[in-house]
Amino acid sequence: MMVFAECFGGIVNEESLQLLTPARMIADKLHIEITVALFGHKVSQLGREPFFYGADRVVLVDDPKLAAYCPNVYGGALVQLAKLEKPELLLIGGTLRGRELAPYVANVLGTGLTADCTGFDVDEASGDVLQIRPPFGATMLAYIRTPKHRPQMATVRPNVFQLPPMDESRRGKIVDRSGVEIPQPSIALVSSEDVKKDQVAIEKAQVVVSGGKGIGSREGFGMVEGLASEFGGVVAGSRKAVDAGWLGHERQVGQTGKTIKPTLYIALGISGSAQHLFGIREARVVVAVNADPGAPIFESADYGIVGDYRSIVPAIIDQVKRARSKT
Amino acid sequence: MRHLQGSLPRRSGHLEVSPQRQRSAVQVLICMASPNIVVGVKWVPNTTVVNVDPVTGTLIREGVPSIINPHDLNAVELALRLKEKHGGTVTAMAMSPPAAKSGLEFLIGMGVDRGVLVTDRVFAASDTFATSFVLAKALEKLFPVDVIVFGQETIDSSTSHIGAQVASWLDLPYIYYVTEAEILEGGRVRVKRSLERQTDVYELPTPCILVSMMKSNTPRRVRMSNKLRAKLEKPIEVWTNETLKLDSTRTGLKGSPTVVSKSIPTPSVPRKKQRFDGRQDPSAAAKWLLDNLVKEGVA
Repeated sequence: MMVFAECFGGIVNEESLQLLTPARMIADKLHIEITVALFGHKVSQLGREPFFYGADRVVLVDDPKLAAYCPNVYGGALVQLAKLEKPELLLIGGTLRGRELAPYVANVLGTGLTADCTGFDVDEASGDVLQIRPPFGATMLAYIRTPKHRPQMATVRPNVFQLPPMDESRRGKIVDRSGVEIPQPSIALVSSEDVKKDQVAIEKAQVVVSGGKGIGSREGFGMVEGLASEFGGVVAGSRKAVDAGWLGHERQVGQTGKTIKPTLYIALGISGSAQHLFGIREARVVVAVNADPGAPIFESADYGIVGDYRSIVPAIIDQVKRARSKT
Repeated sequence: MRHLQGSLPRRSGHLEVSPQRQRSAVQVLICMASPNIVVGVKWVPNTTVVNVDPVTGTLIREGVPSIINPHDLNAVELALRLKEKHGGTVTAMAMSPPAAKSGLEFLIGMGVDRGVLVTDRVFAASDTFATSFVLAKALEKLFPVDVIVFGQETIDSSTSHIGAQVASWLDLPYIYYVTEAEILEGGRVRVKRSLERQTDVYELPTPCILVSMMKSNTPRRVRMSNKLRAKLEKPIEVWTNETLKLDSTRTGLKGSPTVVSKSIPTPSVPRKKQRFDGRQDPSAAAKWLLDNLVKEGVA
């Protein structure tokens, strides 16, 4: 099977390395090897790293034509590589580029693609990979297969899988496939600018304090920030809060936002839709504060406080300060 | 591995210049003067209001209203802005059940000139591979086209597949996550697009496919004057497989390489569900919480 690895910024991107976790489970059940395909320019120096995370084989497609990313160029080259290598399964990280690229590749290969998988299993009888994903506003889990077409293809939601444990002593075979036919770009990159977004990546934080529609205003988020600060955590929000313009999309938690796994998640003024809950399934402890005793979030929280966040949050901050002054 | 036969041009690994792309000088002038813009949209259940039955834990699907996919409204808005700037016409196309007609009427109300509803029982239960095939064949009937716009993803299946797949079937240049677009002299399209940590500017030749970024603009309201025009001119056509004459082994379940093996309600994560009413005494609630968080080892 093959894992397509993005190598932008001179490193193998973490979202691609995460794929080696489900890949190892699948490869072991099907008794096949994991090949990681590194695409880009000057990527040969990155060839050892995939082995540290469990790759059995690395294929390099290293060409100046791949220095700038263009969907049809990367897509066309990946198609050629897949035709050469004939993998049973091709996994692509569900980053924005990955989700732009994968459907084109699947279509040209004449095969099926499952988007945004959050889980995998193997049907031992047929050898089909079960591709598991949450459609319909994350209220369902669908198990999808591609019984008659190969390669089976899936994009994988970022940050659902952890990196596999790293073993720097692992080695493997590196194969150069840079001779693969690379198409001419059908579009032209005029310019590219890094955006100084929020430095904070909410998906890396141990404590996340999140505000929803119940916060009521951007000013209200000041209190959310105050609580986050007391716990040394970061601020996030539900889709409704982001849609209201109270914080940026990069801080959105939920099915159309980010999937996070903090140790502590505090939801303030969030009703608890299935879409939101999907983003915090892996949180260790969930706390909810909501003025509505009937809010669904209470059924999905470990500790819930019924009350207006405007009186509850200052009380919590007060308690945290007292506890700290005692130690 | 099944090989696909089809009348659409097959790719050979390097791009052939397909007939659509060879533009005469006259065609370029026409594009600049009066671009033909098509937006693909979908009619979807409004998953943002779906509820889970508290007793059975299953979805309550009855009475869930359907709407035009909200992220497709950003695509429609992008198309309407192109029309405002450059003239031409905007056609909205939906491959959906017959009820989608009211959705297309809504889009005419926004200012779309024409609606095409592609609907037939043989198209039902198509995965994205089969859906994109039907859409590509339907779009061919509207050629020559300058810009085709799709929304980033739907709120029901949320795959993000269709734009790239249709681009593959029609062998057209494409780009995703477009926040702004304009048509330049010479008939090229310049777009701004956003990735996770960067903004890119690309230029594409026409015809091309743009996938708009969700939430990248504020879709305009429906106007009475547009609605009245719709009532008079009846600008919505319905195309069935009588019109498209597609091989039914390439649509619906038969034309779908992916199969849903099973679907279950999302299993809920076991939570403690402990609760404290803090309405009378917020301090007591806060203390209760801190004590528990300390016990959990997270505070």
